[in-house]
Amino acid sequence: MTRYQFFSGKGGVGKTTMACATAIHNAMEGKKTLIVTTDPASNLADVFEQEIGHVITRIKGIENLWAMEIDPDEATREYKERIIGPFREIMPQDVIASLEENLSGPCTTEMASFDRFIDFMEGSEYDVIVFDTAPTGHTIRLLELPVDWSKHIEESAKGSGQTCLGPVQSIQDSKEKYDRATALLKDQTRTAFIFVMRPEELSLYETLRASKELETIGIKSGEIIINGILPEEVCDVSFFKKKFYAQQNVIRQSEKTIPQPKRYMFLRDNEVKGIDALKDIVRELFMGKKPSYVSELLLTGQFVPTIERPDIDALFLPGNQTKAIFFTGKGGVGKTSLSCITALYISQKGVKTLLVTTDPAAHIGEVLDVKVGSRPEKIADNLFAVMVNQQEAFQEYKEKVLGEARGRYSEEMLATMEEELNSPCTEEMAAFDKFIQYIEGKDYEVVVFDTAPTGHTLRLLDLPFDYAKQVEMMVSTADSSVIKETAQNRFRDIISTLRDRTRTVFSLVLYPESTPIMESYRAMLDLKEAGIETQLVLANMVLPEEVCTNNFFRNRRKMQVKYLEEIKIKFGLPVLQIPLMQEEIKGLNRLKAAVNIL
Amino acid sequence: MKIAIYDPPLCCSSGLCGPALDPVLVKMNDAVMALKKQGVEVERYNLAQQPKSFMDNKSIAELLHKNGKKILPITIVNSDVFRTGEYPSYEDLCKALGIEPREFRKPINLLGTR
Repeated sequence: MTRYQFFSGKGGVGKTTMACATAIHNAMEGKKTLIVTTDPASNLADVFEQEIGHVITRIKGIENLWAMEIDPDEATREYKERIIGPFREIMPQDVIASLEENLSGPCTTEMASFDRFIDFMEGSEYDVIVFDTAPTGHTIRLLELPVDWSKHIEESAKGSGQTCLGPVQSIQDSKEKYDRATALLKDQTRTAFIFVMRPEELSLYETLRASKELETIGIKSGEIIINGILPEEVCDVSFFKKKFYAQQNVIRQSEKTIPQPKRYMFLRDNEVKGIDALKDIVRELFMGKKPSYVSELLLTGQFVPTIERPDIDALFLPGNQTKAIFFTGKGGVGKTSLSCITALYISQKGVKTLLVTTDPAAHIGEVLDVKVGSRPEKIADNLFAVMVNQQEAFQEYKEKVLGEARGRYSEEMLATMEEELNSPCTEEMAAFDKFIQYIEGKDYEVVVFDTAPTGHTLRLLDLPFDYAKQVEMMVSTADSSVIKETAQNRFRDIISTLRDRTRTVFSLVLYPESTPIMESYRAMLDLKEAGIETQLVLANMVLPEEVCTNNFFRNRRKMQVKYLEEIKIKFGLPVLQIPLMQEEIKGLNRLKAAVNIL
Repeated sequence: MKIAIYDPPLCCSSGLCGPALDPVLVKMNDAVMALKKQGVEVERYNLAQQPKSFMDNKSIAELLHKNGKKILPITIVNSDVFRTGEYPSYEDLCKALGIEPREFRKPINLLGTR
């Protein structure tokens, strides 16, 4: 029977590389192996150095190995067509158009990707299927979907027959399929979850939290890979020696706190690309063969990038109106630290600043060393922080709607309302509503948003556009026209604020390596499509020139500089370089010290 | 006694999972609840979520095909098309069904004082 291996972990921890190495290992053992990615910013093709795309493709140079990149856009198109197809001949054009419109929400995209992903879990053609999944938060949502869906389908079929997840009748047809997928995900004899983490405290927290979250839905994680360990012999200056000891400390901690078996992986002095480099990873991962570190200095490539320092005060400080600053980028690139540093920097200029996190796995509390709750909390002079908690926001939103209705309608009607409000749609809307209130409010001069990874961010930001359309769909009568107008005006205001360069600054956070660059680029294009211009790139974790004294780090810095030049050309935006910091930012004192880097 | 309502594509029938409450939909939902209490069988179909039901009913499919979406909502009373393009009031539905409107439901429906 086919065995399934899922790779989970924050973006940028090396999941794809580990998944590819695992796939190669299985293939080399003679098992027919398929590696599938559901990551919208997949770089499977990059790692294998060949075109892959939305079809099952044979990997050159390795027997028994195939790969496929699930393109979420393509999957969505296919999924929509499967539902709408049968109606094309019978229904008029405007009905087809509204069916399409209704299936253009974010739910459909996730569902479509998941649908494709289950398709692979049905067949028996492969001995092993390796899934290089999307970042943790997203992965968990994907995995939780089948559970929620089944519940949702049953409830909605019983009740009014409504669900926000697209045509309920079509979901009904697939219900059994989703149930089978859930059962398979929970079957430990056939499915393994492998967590990849970096030897850093935040990464350890994240891994523990993610594996607990999976356990609550009945899924046990299999093993842990700790990737990117600094080899002791190359850490000859104190900057890296300290980093080495800090890493070793986290490794010991994870040995204590994580009972699952672990594999260890050392940092390389260059990117892992191509079959030979991957085979080297396989040898280390599965045979414990430590790589050799007598690095030769790469002769090509420059050591100092040709990048000018942008005027950040012009970007970050407010004019007469409240300014919103968004940080977007793959998880693990340092968005949280940078948004905290930026917020503190701005507040130190005497500007009243609010830091908002929408990350469901909020790290802000860990960086600030303060428990950040759903009410703004004072952190320092002029600096406040708040977390948008989806569940709490949902409860509040529900209360608000029901409160307005109470006294005007019967208890019976209120009960119906409450039932209808318990949908995933409302949940998202509630979080969005909360989030946008901070932009609309006039309590702060600058609001800094530490947004969740790209996909989620875009979903949130896409909502006003969807809402405006939904409001237009309301049946037009004298009764509803006032309400309709109010709602429409509000969404129009939000959209124009987000598009106004003087009131909203979108900045991309990445570190100079291929995956984060690709994902950020995609995010920039998506934003552009929504009429939003990105204004800044923050290139984080750049190795400081003065500490790169040996060939290992010189090579790594050269690799980074190559990518910094690529960023400059590809994005055509001001690039702010942020040096790799000596210590992880935890606590307000370290944060205050870190402000100097701006 | 049977009523079927074919709704236009909506987020949900009560108008509640949208970004703003639509009083027309709330009023319709109110009427539906009252009618159900009086023993009337009420079915609701939403084009966004149950498009198959629109295809399966021949007269609905024909009306839609001829007129497009603007014909919705369509209300069927005892298998005859009763109203198109707008929702009927509770009183109209009671008249069509030949039943007495329930007086005590007045406080339920404060929005419908047109």
